[in-house]
Amino acid sequence: MDLVTVNGLTKRYGGIVALSDATFSARAGEVHALLGENGAGKSTFIQILSGAVRHDGGSILIDGQDYRPANPDAAQARGIAAVFQELSLIPDLSVEQNIWFRHEPRTLLRTVNRGEMRRKTLALLEKYSFPTLRPDRELRRLTLAERQIVEIAKGLAKDPRIIILDEATSALPAREAEWLLKLTRQLAAEGRLVIFISHRMAEVRAIADRLTIFRNGATVAAHEANAVSDNEIVAQMIGRHLDRLYPERIPTATDRVALKVQGISSGSRLSGVEFALREGEVLGVGGLQGHGQRELFQALFGATRATGAVELWGKPVSIANPRQALTGRDGIALVPEDRRGQGLLLTKSVRENLTLSVIKRFTENGLLSRQKEAELVKEMVDFLRIKAGTPEQLAGTLSGGNQQKVIFGKMLLTQARILLLYDPTRGVDVGTKGEIFQLMRDLAAKGYAILFHSSDMPELVHVADRVMVMRNGRIAATLEGDHISEEEILRAAMLETRAA
Amino acid sequence: MTVEQTAEMAQRPAEMKSVNPGIDWRGRALDRAPFLVACLMLALIVAIYGSLQSGVFTLDEINLDTAAAMTLMLAATGQTIVLLRGGIDLSIGGMISLGTVIAATRFTDDPSTTAFWALAILALGFGIGALNGLLISLLRLQPFLVTLATWSILNGIAMIILPTDGGSVPSWWVGFASAQLFGLTSPVWMLLALLVFWWWFRATGTGITIQASGSNEKSAFLSGVSITRVNLVTYGLSGLFAAGAALFLVTQTGAGSPTIGKDYILPSVAAAVIGGVSLFGGRGHLAGTLIGAFVLTLIGNLVFVLHVSSYWQPVASGVILLLSVLASSIAEKAARSRVQ
Ligand SMILES: Nc1ncnc2c1ncn2[C@@H]1O[C@H](COP(=O)(O)OP(=O)(O)OP(=O)(O)O)[C@@H](O)[C@H]1O
Ligand SMILES: [Mg+2]
Repeated sequence: MDLVTVNGLTKRYGGIVALSDATFSARAGEVHALLGENGAGKSTFIQILSGAVRHDGGSILIDGQDYRPANPDAAQARGIAAVFQELSLIPDLSVEQNIWFRHEPRTLLRTVNRGEMRRKTLALLEKYSFPTLRPDRELRRLTLAERQIVEIAKGLAKDPRIIILDEATSALPAREAEWLLKLTRQLAAEGRLVIFISHRMAEVRAIADRLTIFRNGATVAAHEANAVSDNEIVAQMIGRHLDRLYPERIPTATDRVALKVQGISSGSRLSGVEFALREGEVLGVGGLQGHGQRELFQALFGATRATGAVELWGKPVSIANPRQALTGRDGIALVPEDRRGQGLLLTKSVRENLTLSVIKRFTENGLLSRQKEAELVKEMVDFLRIKAGTPEQLAGTLSGGNQQKVIFGKMLLTQARILLLYDPTRGVDVGTKGEIFQLMRDLAAKGYAILFHSSDMPELVHVADRVMVMRNGRIAATLEGDHISEEEILRAAMLETRAA
Repeated sequence: MTVEQTAEMAQRPAEMKSVNPGIDWRGRALDRAPFLVACLMLALIVAIYGSLQSGVFTLDEINLDTAAAMTLMLAATGQTIVLLRGGIDLSIGGMISLGTVIAATRFTDDPSTTAFWALAILALGFGIGALNGLLISLLRLQPFLVTLATWSILNGIAMIILPTDGGSVPSWWVGFASAQLFGLTSPVWMLLALLVFWWWFRATGTGITIQASGSNEKSAFLSGVSITRVNLVTYGLSGLFAAGAALFLVTQTGAGSPTIGKDYILPSVAAAVIGGVSLFGGRGHLAGTLIGAFVLTLIGNLVFVLHVSSYWQPVASGVILLLSVLASSIAEKAARSRVQ
């Protein structure tokens, strides 16, 4: 019998229909992928299953019994745990306190039994061969990837029968993502149901037994994974055929250097990085995670302190803070890693988020021109196909992928011609991914210079003109032309690590 | 992206690199920087005070100063819990006034009557606080607004009960503040009790949940926390401690006052902030708050022995508040730049 059966599920937020007719069924012991475009309703669906949000209509059966959780506790009581796309962690608690939050082992005085908690944490991390985590470290000191891993541990700590992973791989670097895929299989083998949401087709292909496809809040198809082709799946997701994901790579780089970096260093994470990014070029930054990629982007944007020389369009500059980096057409714009922490104001509207850093462009004689602002906003929303009810919808209520699009739009509106893209397609659906890559190539052809990091290696291979591989805070190799391949990137990234 | 590539990816050994940098002493020191700054300030003030006045480093002086600071300490304990939750409680001013006037008009020489009314005041404190919490949750209003309103209401009721300072409490109640055990007076024992309470409270589920809700409310909710219940308990405790502060205050004044409470509202916040409690929720400890309360109290003593106008006391308190806010923001920045 099916463990979960969902029929005609509906959910609306005011005028926005998040789910119109979701149908779903899954068995224990399988990995069930949930696919769909940004805003299709996947996260809404799992929020309902996990008790964070209540549905308006339709029915959910668990073990054949009616299920309507009033809150996350009720869902947990029925053995359902979710690893949320936007995470549910407490910044001021330690890793282990987060993992066991509200389920801590207690002493006779009703206080947390720290020794026992540590023991259980280590046992859990051991059992599922988690990447190394320091249990006593405060969460706000962790990187996004580490937080994602803690969120996974937190889900597993409840020993759930149904575990839902909402784009859990999207924040993880290659190795950890690989580990998570293995873990997913292990969990299914233990007899649990894993509901797996991802925009990376390869991952879905590697682990899913069955899949369900959402479009515009309704289920359009459900398949056995081995009975359907990639193309069919994508076509059902986006409602049309996608010719190719990656645009043709026509070199457009000129000899003019847009961004020249000499000996840039920052603490122990970044030491003496040198490179030149040319006008019209897409320069990839790869390597294993934690080898200075993040620091490089942050330093170039002026968000971390760094030493070294930077030239923009041939002129030496010092970039001490983001304001200085953002000076008009000759400036630098960044798509940051942590969209909720750094990129977006969640309680502000889509419009405000888009125009916040470019207010000057709609100001005439000190007055804001609402009309001009509205035009630009509409242009950007249409262009990126941001799925929002109106431009006044709060950014925090957009689907994950649409939040990422807003950040992208915000950056484009600055008109800066040097773009630092740190994982710009994270959480973005296949259709839009293709559009973003096309956009990157188009911008390059127009003379933009793009520094591009992706946690999904094939993207670097297919989109960048050159790829710099980072290792221990340095550039270990720069690959060009035919030498750009996943193999080569990995080799350059790991050579030293292997020797050590 | 092809199936072959993925299969190949999955075969690669996942040799995770293990980084175990040992205890992060600098990080810990930075985390506690505001608290350390508060300790330093206290030490400095005590040193100056001690050099101007004889007999500062005696048990008597400790007993005296603790008694002088205890009302503020009790009020600030409640405030610390609220701040940890990411809120603020202005109504403690009203609660303290109301508590003193009820005590001054109802306490009698009969211990059982007095005990009944003392318990009633405490229960009222918790109840009114819980009501604050409920209003904040149900009406989705700012804590500032809700508690401002209840402050005004409680103040008005206190005025109705006792329009001007007056009334009295029995002498045995007043005597409580100077009762001694092993050379230490009851306020010093209360201080220790507060610390023990905090040590316990912060490790309980309730304590952690309150802190977590202040740190990130959405995450707490997603983890199954009932925000309404957290607010109820948080503000309830704050009201309870304010009522406790009122009961202690009448041992110092011997009478009730319908206006005295307002003198504790901002100082209770200031004591917490000086002690390193974050106004944004999620961070801070009672030890810091208690040190902050001592700092604010001793500033008064210092102004007195310096023979300058007592108007310098608020000026000095303000400067100290600014200094500690500055210190914590510098530490915060340093800590943050280390992470990235
Ligand atoms: N609190 C809310 N208020 C208003 N609209 C909302 C809210 N939550 C979700 N929505 C809307 O519901 C729709 C579905 O969102 P959902 O997050 O479920 O999409 P998704 O399939 O998870 O997309 P993604 O792949 O981008 O994560 C979106 O259009 C979103 O804007
Ligand atoms: Mg989503």
